[in-house]
Amino acid sequence: MPLKRQPAVIGCAIRPAIRGRDRSLEEIMHDTAMMALADAGISIEDIDGIVVASNDQFDGRAISVMMASSALGGVDRDILSTPSASEHAFVLGALRVASGQYRTQLVVAWSPTEVSSMSEAQRLGADPYYHRSLPLDELSAHALQAAAVEHRVPGAREMALAVAAKNRAHGAAAYPVSPVPGPFRWPVAAAMTSVPVTGAVGVVLADADFAAERGVADPAWLRGMGWATEASFLGDRDLSTAPALREAARQAFEAAGVAASAIDVAEITDATPYTELLAYEALGLASREEWAARLTDGAFARGGRVPVNLSGGVLTHNPVFCTGLIRIAEIAQQVRGRAGKHQRHGARLGLAHAGSGFAMQYQAAVILGRDARA
Amino acid sequence: MSGDRVGIIGIGQSAFRSRRDDASYPDLVREAVVLAMADAKLDFDAIEAIVYSLSPDAMVGIGNAERLGVDAVGGRNKRFLRINTGGSTGISSVAAAYYHVASGACDVVLTAGADKVGECGDSQTVLNKIWDPTYERALPLGTINMLAMSAVRYMRNYGMTQEDMARVVVKNRRHASLNPNAHLRKVVTLDDVMESRLISWPIKLMDCCPQSSGGAAMVLASEQFIRDNHLDAVWITGLAHRAETYWMGDRMGNNPTAEHADAYALRRSFEKSYKMAGITEPPKQVHVAELYAPFSNTEFHAIDAAALCPPGQSVPMMRDGMFELGGWIPVNTSGGTLCTNAIAVTAMARVAETALQVWGRAGAYQVEGARVGIASGNGGDHQIFGTMVIEA
Repeated sequence: MPLKRQPAVIGCAIRPAIRGRDRSLEEIMHDTAMMALADAGISIEDIDGIVVASNDQFDGRAISVMMASSALGGVDRDILSTPSASEHAFVLGALRVASGQYRTQLVVAWSPTEVSSMSEAQRLGADPYYHRSLPLDELSAHALQAAAVEHRVPGAREMALAVAAKNRAHGAAAYPVSPVPGPFRWPVAAAMTSVPVTGAVGVVLADADFAAERGVADPAWLRGMGWATEASFLGDRDLSTAPALREAARQAFEAAGVAASAIDVAEITDATPYTELLAYEALGLASREEWAARLTDGAFARGGRVPVNLSGGVLTHNPVFCTGLIRIAEIAQQVRGRAGKHQRHGARLGLAHAGSGFAMQYQAAVILGRDARA
Repeated sequence: MSGDRVGIIGIGQSAFRSRRDDASYPDLVREAVVLAMADAKLDFDAIEAIVYSLSPDAMVGIGNAERLGVDAVGGRNKRFLRINTGGSTGISSVAAAYYHVASGACDVVLTAGADKVGECGDSQTVLNKIWDPTYERALPLGTINMLAMSAVRYMRNYGMTQEDMARVVVKNRRHASLNPNAHLRKVVTLDDVMESRLISWPIKLMDCCPQSSGGAAMVLASEQFIRDNHLDAVWITGLAHRAETYWMGDRMGNNPTAEHADAYALRRSFEKSYKMAGITEPPKQVHVAELYAPFSNTEFHAIDAAALCPPGQSVPMMRDGMFELGGWIPVNTSGGTLCTNAIAVTAMARVAETALQVWGRAGAYQVEGARVGIASGNGGDHQIFGTMVIEA
């Protein structure tokens, strides 16, 4: 169903790797909100509502939305939180603007790294009887998915290595960093992951009237949005497929009224390169039979037909909990022409994929355009 | 009325208990979902999205425990997200479901959740972790002593006594005795409350909500869908959220946001909800209220904030029985949070009970002729407030 009012992204703050320990989490959140508002050219007084997303276990707090109310300007404002995923905060913010009851929303997610073991924090998210004792963390679940893909698709490992090489090259051009290879779980090699870092991301959403009233020059219009979940038990899933992402993509493309071939630029949550491969298929960018050819002809590389992860993706920066919302913000900046060194020249229609949880349980697809409609 | 309202078409609630050893956490969610779906007379295929209602992960001992609830709510390959605003989570989830429909994205949305507070060990140990680890956690703060401080302040400002607090308990327990789903259903006397064990002065054991286990679920739909399918519904005509500061230390100052006796943001949220619903004189237009009050003293400032009376007048009006069943504006006719608190869905139950009242389906605790009702939820450290107006 079409949204009653069309939201647009009018400001972003992408902070994929916050170094140093001189800022508290509250200060990081405040900085991020101020940067997003500055990018939108508005002030906190213009914000009607706030949606945040964070993970209690990573934050070491219960109900970590609470501290956000002061740090993000929530006092005497409407603030909600979607701790299921950072991308869900975007979804809810967009729905609130689309309802016509809010002109603007500030959406913020953060992901600190102070927890003594992120793996153990993630393991608490496994069901206590079956998965937790495996033991299972998110990378282990991604590795099971990688093994399933390798089993089903001959040559998948070489393709995964090619995806990783592409994203590393993009990352090196986009951001002045040398990412540290992450932990590994067979068959996911260290070269296919990056070490979790502290990060935060902020997005400002507004409706058309607000954008017009403020003379926003470069809104990224929400053309389509879809989100869906897989079953929770890994044993109930065929990990070599991504049906929830297929459903999310169906929702997004149906709303946008365009085909995947119309997309100029994409960001995919490459928790591992195998998840990027599965996303190519579910998003309609390339079926598994076409993966090898597209990686060889450079369709998804800088300068290719539809560059994927010009930001370098999760392989370049891995603020675990915010990676989904960062993908959306990166696409917003691409279609706004504000992506900086990794801008795809002339990008008018972008696709963001956000996935999270064990073996990408939660899936979302967001299509943003420089033009309000096709 | 325009044709794009959002209606409530199905409600399901557990019979809340201290423990539910017979049911796992997802089982409890499923229990409520089955009841709500039967009430809505819909098949799961009609559900386009799910909003999952779950407050702190630590209460169920599983990180992102909503992931385990996906199957219980029939969520596979459907739109699904979780809301957490602490104690207000339930009403925030209904609000999020409302936005799914009001935005035009979906016609039919399910919101559901459950909690096992009675089996979590000690909820106050968990709830201490909601505070900042460096400054306020170490006091140590819990939700009881936090609201005991509010009670002391309310006593000073408005003349509330411990007997006034006990009156709220007696009233709500009597209401709960009529509600088969309520957890604490035993009728108590003023003396029973006054003689109960001191927990954090002036709050005594019977001034406190129980730790409950159970689930709740609701189905919301667009007016178009409801008309096309000839369904029965009540309508969410006003809703809002407002927040206060995180810091307890910032509740002590000379501006309205710092008055810990009152519920400033709750008042602001009600103002916005009333405006949306076109309610200009709440005492004349509201027939019934379900106000989130986990401790007896907090019902007073909730009534004040809902503008059902001038500030502080809730105390003498309570003495006169004006908020009892059969009184002027019955408050917490289900027994309220004081008699049942399964935190993840407590504020959803406030919405559900208000909906049942204006629907004329509240059974033994029905308020005759109720057509307009209000509901509220409080979350965080008395910080995040959600409010709704529901009309027949």
